[in-house]
Amino acid sequence: MKFRALMVDAGPMREFANIVTIISKLSKECILRVAADTLYFIVSDDNSGPAPPVLWCEIPQAMFFSEYQMVGLDDEHKDIYLGLSSGNLSRSLVTLKTAKSLKMKLTKKQCPCLTLEIEMPSSTSQQTRNVTHDIPVIVIPRKMWSEFHEPNTPDPDISIELPALKQLRTTIDRMRTMASEVIIWASAAGRLTLQIKTDMAKVSTRFKELRVEAFEGPIDHSDSETESQANEDMSRICYCRVDAKKLSMFLSADQVTHNRTLCSIVHKKLVILCLHTEENVRLQCFISGIVY
Amino acid sequence: MKCHIPGANVKVLGRTAHALARFGDELYLESLPDCILLRTLNAAESAYAMVKFNKNFFTYFNYNYYSTEDNEGLKCKISMKSALNIFKSPAHMDKQVENLEIKLDAESCKLIFQLKCRHGIVKTHFVSILDCKAMQAVYTKDSVPNRITSPQRILSEALGNFQSSDDQVTLEVSSQSLIMRNYVDTNVDLTKIIRTQISLKPSEFDGYAIEAETTITFTLKEFRALLAFAEALNLPLQLHFETTGRPVVFIVHNGSTFEAHFVLATSKCDSASQATSTQHTNVERSKRKDSNSTLGSAKKKPHLEVDISKCLDEDSHLFNFIDIPEEVMLNKTSTNGNIENKSKSSGKTEEPMDCDNIPASPAAKNMIKSVFKRCFESTFDPRNLHGAILAENSDSE
Repeated sequence: MKFRALMVDAGPMREFANIVTIISKLSKECILRVAADTLYFIVSDDNSGPAPPVLWCEIPQAMFFSEYQMVGLDDEHKDIYLGLSSGNLSRSLVTLKTAKSLKMKLTKKQCPCLTLEIEMPSSTSQQTRNVTHDIPVIVIPRKMWSEFHEPNTPDPDISIELPALKQLRTTIDRMRTMASEVIIWASAAGRLTLQIKTDMAKVSTRFKELRVEAFEGPIDHSDSETESQANEDMSRICYCRVDAKKLSMFLSADQVTHNRTLCSIVHKKLVILCLHTEENVRLQCFISGIVY
Repeated sequence: MKCHIPGANVKVLGRTAHALARFGDELYLESLPDCILLRTLNAAESAYAMVKFNKNFFTYFNYNYYSTEDNEGLKCKISMKSALNIFKSPAHMDKQVENLEIKLDAESCKLIFQLKCRHGIVKTHFVSILDCKAMQAVYTKDSVPNRITSPQRILSEALGNFQSSDDQVTLEVSSQSLIMRNYVDTNVDLTKIIRTQISLKPSEFDGYAIEAETTITFTLKEFRALLAFAEALNLPLQLHFETTGRPVVFIVHNGSTFEAHFVLATSKCDSASQATSTQHTNVERSKRKDSNSTLGSAKKKPHLEVDISKCLDEDSHLFNFIDIPEEVMLNKTSTNGNIENKSKSSGKTEEPMDCDNIPASPAAKNMIKSVFKRCFESTFDPRNLHGAILAENSDSE
């Protein structure tokens, strides 16, 4: 097993540090899957069972690394799966924003380590200094690989583009102080509604004229307890009740310079938030719906 | 004692109080004819700090304002907490405070700090005196082989790469490079912590003279505090050190008005566990470590060396400190100095002599080894035992 990669461009390095920071906010542990053309970060819930992972992030290596070499276990098992503490990784990469280059490699120093060699410019002279971090990792045995397969999610009923994440995050963070659950409504007409209900109040925030990517209507509301929204065809609206904290955690991804974020909803069951960046990184977050 | 400190210098004093507070819980204050000394020592006696303010730091200075006949200055000990209370926000102090007056209230045994602030506000702190003696550590800073002068930012930038949970740092110096790494305790789970290593080139430093390559390990908490002090005052930092087990002295001074010495004990670094360097040597090292552990941590070194390393392993008491209520202090320090000089001139073998001054703290772990000491010696051969058999071997089943 071998892995060695080199990053030299400032933009991708900053992006990489940001992505790792988001992951460290979502979970303490994560899986790094090294494949020939892509790096994957996978966060799966401990007791998720057959449910999709919490987070699935794909980083195309060609966009980020100037050098990239990896050799897997054998011809049939070409990938490397590493379990590591996402906090350790993100704390080591904080300095990446000013760094000149980052070299990542898999080493064995008393225990398997992901070694990061960061070349830092000196503030006082033209010299550079080398910082080496050895982050202990666990090499995931082959028989457990199946637990980290690509998520197989049901087809969403609607996919709608989200407004600016920063705006959304401030809204959610306000709502979070009042209720622990948020209902996300999305209509085929391009309207997104965030709603909370408490004993005292019902708060809704509406975002209009959003682009609808796909709609697989009509939606069956026959068993639902929902009161109909004024002047709108209910069969063209679907909703999902989710944990506000999880949603807010994903929205902390607003520091990534991104092109677009897509919100896909499987009616009452699942919300899939998918963030695409310019560098073709796909960061998907799966938040399962709460049903009473 | 009575003195006045102008506003700009109050900030310096405030920074000093904050740096010293990271070292110890008690502040020793001593006034001499031409300067005031502030000192502190931590509870484990492994870190000591001394800051000397010269006469020209003050606008008015009288070292024995009240005592008339005995020409003695003030020697007292106050609690660090009360000192910190006076200097709550050192960053803004120079803008708010116009003048600080420190004087002794001879009748009630209190030290009075009177801050004259803007807009005619006067804050007066009465600080109780806990004790009336001075304390001084004995260490050498001048006749050491290794000296580094560093711009204040370099080292603090380098420390920024370490985790906040790291508590000790190892400095490996050679004439080509300075390597800093976080110290990993042998009984810590290696799969949990990040090992970090930073190599700095000598050309980054203002001065870099290494005569004896060495590796020293000391605590990060105090190191961070003194770096923050140097950075706040925008002054370079000088490192003076010998080898592992001997204290490292950090000096910050501005040439004229004040000089600060921070002394940290260094502990012996277990090379087998510190393995971020090159890979092949690591393999060797880990092999060595393995063989050690299979032998039940038997030490293969000759007995004398074991003793030394045991002394060096102790974090505390790595330099002597003495209470100086009387003039005996002068004699004492000079004799101590002699011992040190002697040991240095007669070379390395004499080093354990110095260690004799160190009161060893009880080492519970080594108890079993010292009781059955001979079994652990490399020269131990059971066939050579000719003593009487106290208990026969039990019958086989």
